Amino acid sequence: MDSNFLAELERIVGPDGIVRDDAELATYESDGLAKMRSRPGAAVLPGSAEEVQQVVRLCHGAGVPFVARGSGTGLSGGALPRPDGVLIVMTRLNRILDIDIPNRRITVEPGVLNLEVSQAVAGDGCYYAPDPSSQVICSIGGNLAENSGGAHCLKYGFTVHHVLGVEAVLPDGEMVRLGGPALDNPGYDLLGVLVGSEGTLAVVTKVTLRLLRKPAAVKTLLAAFDSTEAAGNAVSGIIGAGIIPAAVEMMDRLTIEAAEAAVHPNFPQAEAILIVELDGAEADVTALFSLVEQVCTDSGAREIQVAQTDAQRARFWMGRKAAFAAMGRVSPSYYVQDGVIPRTKLPEVLARIRSLEEESGLRIGNVFHAGDGNLHPLVCYDDRIPGQPDLAQRVASDILTFCLDAGGSITGEHGVGADKADQMPKMFSATDLEAMQRVRCAFDPRNLCNPGKVFPTPRLCGEVPGPYRAHPVEEAGLAARV
Amino acid sequence: MGRAAATAEALIAAGAAHAGVGELRAPTAVDAVDGVQPRLVAEPATADRLVATLGWAADLGLSVRVRGGGTKQQWGAVARPFDLLLSTARLDAVVEHRHGDLTATVAAGAPLADVNAALARHAQRLPLDPPRPARATIGGIVATNDSGPARHHHGAPRDLIIGCSIVLADGRAAKSGGIVVKNVAGYDLARLMTGSFGTLAVITSATFKLAPVAGSSRTVSIALDALEDAAPLIARLADAPLTPSALELAWPPARLNVRFESVEAAVVQQAAEVVRLAGDSGRAGTLEGEAESRLWADYAAGWNASGTLVKLATRPTELVPTLVRLRDACKRDAVEMAAAGRAALGVVEVRLRGSAAAQARIIEHLRESLPPGEGSAVVRQAEPELRRLVDPWGPIGDALPIMQRIKAQLDPAGRLNPGGGPGGV
Repeated sequence: MDSNFLAELERIVGPDGIVRDDAELATYESDGLAKMRSRPGAAVLPGSAEEVQQVVRLCHGAGVPFVARGSGTGLSGGALPRPDGVLIVMTRLNRILDIDIPNRRITVEPGVLNLEVSQAVAGDGCYYAPDPSSQVICSIGGNLAENSGGAHCLKYGFTVHHVLGVEAVLPDGEMVRLGGPALDNPGYDLLGVLVGSEGTLAVVTKVTLRLLRKPAAVKTLLAAFDSTEAAGNAVSGIIGAGIIPAAVEMMDRLTIEAAEAAVHPNFPQAEAILIVELDGAEADVTALFSLVEQVCTDSGAREIQVAQTDAQRARFWMGRKAAFAAMGRVSPSYYVQDGVIPRTKLPEVLARIRSLEEESGLRIGNVFHAGDGNLHPLVCYDDRIPGQPDLAQRVASDILTFCLDAGGSITGEHGVGADKADQMPKMFSATDLEAMQRVRCAFDPRNLCNPGKVFPTPRLCGEVPGPYRAHPVEEAGLAARV
Repeated sequence: MGRAAATAEALIAAGAAHAGVGELRAPTAVDAVDGVQPRLVAEPATADRLVATLGWAADLGLSVRVRGGGTKQQWGAVARPFDLLLSTARLDAVVEHRHGDLTATVAAGAPLADVNAALARHAQRLPLDPPRPARATIGGIVATNDSGPARHHHGAPRDLIIGCSIVLADGRAAKSGGIVVKNVAGYDLARLMTGSFGTLAVITSATFKLAPVAGSSRTVSIALDALEDAAPLIARLADAPLTPSALELAWPPARLNVRFESVEAAVVQQAAEVVRLAGDSGRAGTLEGEAESRLWADYAAGWNASGTLVKLATRPTELVPTLVRLRDACKRDAVEMAAAGRAALGVVEVRLRGSAAAQARIIEHLRESLPPGEGSAVVRQAEPELRRLVDPWGPIGDALPIMQRIKAQLDPAGRLNPGGGPGGV
């Protein structure tokens, strides 16, 4: 990178806020998607919103692309750096700025970790609902970029349902405030577009979140089934009975084994287990929980464990949340896929995944957010065997095709990022993508803000509107100018 | 650029000669918006015809306003002259109810009440309850992000929409999102459409996540002596481990209506808890069955009237103090006022009656205490006279330029509901 430019960067963030050394930059060459790597031209760690703004303004002036990065846990390469660009590492913006318990609001900087938010307000009986599996390490800024969900989003929604306001630096360096502590700020729902835009529209510097009161009661059960179909039927039965559980998670045999080997949650041996959690008012939970138990039994559950203590409940969740990392215990390498299907298509899509497993010879573990149809197939392979990494990639891609055939989506929570940009045309028409990119052009006409992510090909943002031309009604001979 | 003038007859004849353009007619008196008569009206019978009609309108450079049930024509900025009134009324089908997945795709012109009657066959509903459900259509509800008491638990349209089909200003069909509740592929244009007042694209259908219809319901209705008494009780209720489906504050007279919808044992227990919490701060009665339905029907009917409706939003704890100040200001200025809305969310509808000048003063005064982000007072519905005196939207904040750029990108010629969007975009 140009040395004057680097000197300017250093002037903004100070000598301890810039990383230029090639070896040190290696730390940042990938996010949670390790297969995609690229060393940034420079990395900066701004300490304030003003520094972020100055960095963005400098990049904009110089035409240098920039990528914001939180904790780097993303699984789609959304924070993959650019060799010709600046990586803006947000981890130093980690202050909790304001806690307003009577209004159930908290305002934080984007580098604050997800779990820290709930911890900060636990003493007041509150919590922050989105709980991605990586919540001990992932940042609020990253959650916002990815519209993160988590096990409990079936009932409580995603990040977009919990972000009330942001302060953000637009790609030209302008600072804007969207929303705020009050709902319904007039204007277009820019928060709705910004959340989940994967860092391509702005760099967020402050976030106001909605807090929830901790539910009066929480009850969790673990049910073991002889087939994933039976477990799937139980999920349908629960939803069909008019129950919206806080969470419904399914794991299959391979992922149960892996979790067992890694963190010993003491899960039963089974083809599939379901973890079902209800929360809410005491009477609600009590009445509905017995219904859930009945549905599980009727669907063929051969064992049901009800968590009697918080520790037992935590053990169920530890086993579930460790599932991805635990695959390392049963396979040298694995590819984490993220797709969504209408929940009722689960049996048919699972059958297709089973045949794919047989055809490819690769084992595929399955973890689902079963309530909302979000599949996480884990494709196991050995990267020491020539051809297997490519095969795994192909298998993972085929699974996405199954999801789309079933009417689903190529990603439920990991994002498109750099990983799936080329899959977008399978889900969206050229016109659909153009409409989205027009929104991008409104924010980032020079295509500098996390370029190369989400969209397969960049759109040139032309000048609009065009010069004067004759009114088409006149051209059509239907009218004369009056 | 002067407006090109073509007669309705000439345009209808031209449209008739154009493949797929649908169901054009000359306007009648009921088609006027704020006294502005369109040059022609289109009532396409299918989504395909709507697409073709918009494409044709784009080729001719016609400006377009969309109408569903026509319940919100007096919302937003005063109508500017426009060419084509595009009615979605004939696109009224529940396109697909995937009851096993708890989702439904609904055509834009379907009235909310009809949609919910269809979904009820599988004991499900779209949990939105804005006023005038028999006429208000899905497209209009999404375009205005309108909601009612159920928002307390279920959220507004922007929280429930998971995908939509739209027609862009140039007449090309596009979609966003999908039919699954969890989906982060691409930008969420469906959310951008909510509250966009038909200025960015025309919605032809929308897909929502649904809610099961609960087996039992109870409402605790608490009569209070004064508006001021509501604040501590709202705080107590919000702090209690309860899961109400609605928590409504109404004034005058001051009253809180707290609803529970769940299984019988749960609604009984929670209603009893509210009565206990209310203690001697008010006179609480628990309603069920017929009486409860009547309470909510009467409550909704109170907001069907014409006249001025202002949506006031504040931090929840600022709601009652703001209403008290507003009440006192109205008294001074001889403006009649009533309010009702989501007590725990800090969002209420305020109804005003009085001279337009006095109402305008009241609204401007109210806005002075509500900087962008901290609150807003948006004129939802009013006679044109008031909407000329006062900007219906109020301050938008520093994000207005980006909204203008989005409008310029999606509708470069400014033909969709000209000037009718938030902040006049």
